[in-house]
Amino acid sequence: MPRRIVVVGAHAAAVDAASAARKADRKAEITLLTAEKYAGYSRCGIPFVIGGHIRKFTDLIVYPSTYYQIMKLNLRRETKVTNIDTKANVVETIDNAGKTETLEYDNLIITTGANPFVPPIKGRELQGIFTIRTIDDGEKVLQAIHQGAKTAVVIGAGLIGLEVAVGLAEAGIKTTIVEMLPQIIPTMLDTDMARDVQEMLETKGMNILLEKRVEEFIGTDHVEGIIASGEKIKADLVVAAFGVRPNTELAEKAGIAIGETRAIRVNARMETNIRGVYAAGDCAEAIHMITQRPAPPQLGTVAVKQGKVAGTNAAGGYAIFPGILGSAVTKFFDTVVGVTGLNEYFAQRVGLDPITATIRGLTRAQYYPGAQPIKVKIVVERELERVIGAQIIGAEEVTQRINAVSMGIQKQMTVHDLAKSDTCYAPPLCETWELLSLVAEAAIIKLTR
Amino acid sequence: MVKVDDYEIPEGLHYSKDWFWIKVEGEKVRMGITDYAQKQLREIVFVELPAAGDTVSANTPFGSVESVKAVSDLISPLSGTIDQVNQEVTSKPEILNEDPFGKAWLLIITPSNLNAELGALMDFSKSVDWHKSLIAKG
Repeated sequence: MPRRIVVVGAHAAAVDAASAARKADRKAEITLLTAEKYAGYSRCGIPFVIGGHIRKFTDLIVYPSTYYQIMKLNLRRETKVTNIDTKANVVETIDNAGKTETLEYDNLIITTGANPFVPPIKGRELQGIFTIRTIDDGEKVLQAIHQGAKTAVVIGAGLIGLEVAVGLAEAGIKTTIVEMLPQIIPTMLDTDMARDVQEMLETKGMNILLEKRVEEFIGTDHVEGIIASGEKIKADLVVAAFGVRPNTELAEKAGIAIGETRAIRVNARMETNIRGVYAAGDCAEAIHMITQRPAPPQLGTVAVKQGKVAGTNAAGGYAIFPGILGSAVTKFFDTVVGVTGLNEYFAQRVGLDPITATIRGLTRAQYYPGAQPIKVKIVVERELERVIGAQIIGAEEVTQRINAVSMGIQKQMTVHDLAKSDTCYAPPLCETWELLSLVAEAAIIKLTR
Repeated sequence: MVKVDDYEIPEGLHYSKDWFWIKVEGEKVRMGITDYAQKQLREIVFVELPAAGDTVSANTPFGSVESVKAVSDLISPLSGTIDQVNQEVTSKPEILNEDPFGKAWLLIITPSNLNAELGALMDFSKSVDWHKSLIAKG
């Protein structure tokens, strides 16, 4: 009898898991289950549809239905998993017509993702308060705009909050960002780098309020604004981007162990504490390569890599997931912001002694038309002199520098390796002295003086 | 040749819903996978084909095609005996991405039941309609 693999979920981690499973086992029966109407789309693209960069939400669907046909993957949309029984090896489902079913599996892959979290603040049941996770969520925001919303408040200046806020601003909405902490993008950037991004956003007309705790959503039926640290801020729509929580309800109920980060605990093969049950993506933990501690990555790039490993193993193959560095990049208006590894603040928080250096340069030779400013900060651990993190802000040439540093960190590159690395140059593309090497030299001087 | 969306569909061929085209060449039939299939699979890195002299049966897998991310069985649109296997495809699988209807043909067979089996395949205009329905479905 062919191996039966059930994947709970049908997005980034799930489709990569199912594809990898198919590659490892050509005969397996592979089923993907999602409660949503759409499957296999890019959640990360939603803010860029709101901002008008992408024509419509359905353009975010990465895999057409024929992909599943070609790969012989059984995709079931609008089918919600209601229970997992790891003793009987079954999942129970209900479709949108109310029909229930019990599916047997030999191996299970849990890719239930994460859900936006809204704290129990007064008025949170009002209409016009949106979270951003699904195409439906995005469509509701666009609908509110079409119905005449002119002002918005975005709560939370993390990656998703800022991406949505920029999208709203690009859609012509007067947008205010409210953040509880004293800086924007607190999990990625150090305060000094965050300030640069904040100034740029403010020159684009965005209103950013820091150190404001949201106390109330105001309005009668429909939200009319918020009260944050005593201050009333009026808005036609509110986006709640407090953060996401791993969606572990089904797993917990099934007796699958949850880790210290509240995500599903997995080993290097993405297997949970229950044999034959795997987890991947936003619902699963990963080991941070520098801290050696579990971390909830919540990044699409991690989800697909973990999914591939889970799928290969669930289908009888062998693959391991080596861990994460939290490498992330995004674009706000014309500014690219990228990060990898630990920033200075987090390095200190996990007990490391970091040396940092920051350098400003240009994205092309200074005489070449169109050269734009770029700023690079690196974080170096003092004793082993290894690079443990980088943050880069610039109009271009950010993404692949982040990837280069990330690969270097994984190979335990020292700051001396980085200073002496062999790099490329042509006037339309970069300066003669690679900025990463210069910033490494700056760090070396600090280490030796 | 027409293009539906981004996918080429040449005239004069018959098509199966398992992503194959066939071309009747006298007593023989040449077959391969469609442009739509290769574009869904993306960069093809491995092709597994049977040997000349083997037989194939309609609607039955005879090999597989693999890309970095995907893998698909090759499902024969017709029954018959294999006369020629395109060795160039096995040594240079990337030609399936470059020229799926031309130099990346897969097999030449002597069909054993052509008249009956041909009826189950789509002609050019039906194939165009079918491709349009695939695009519409998303």
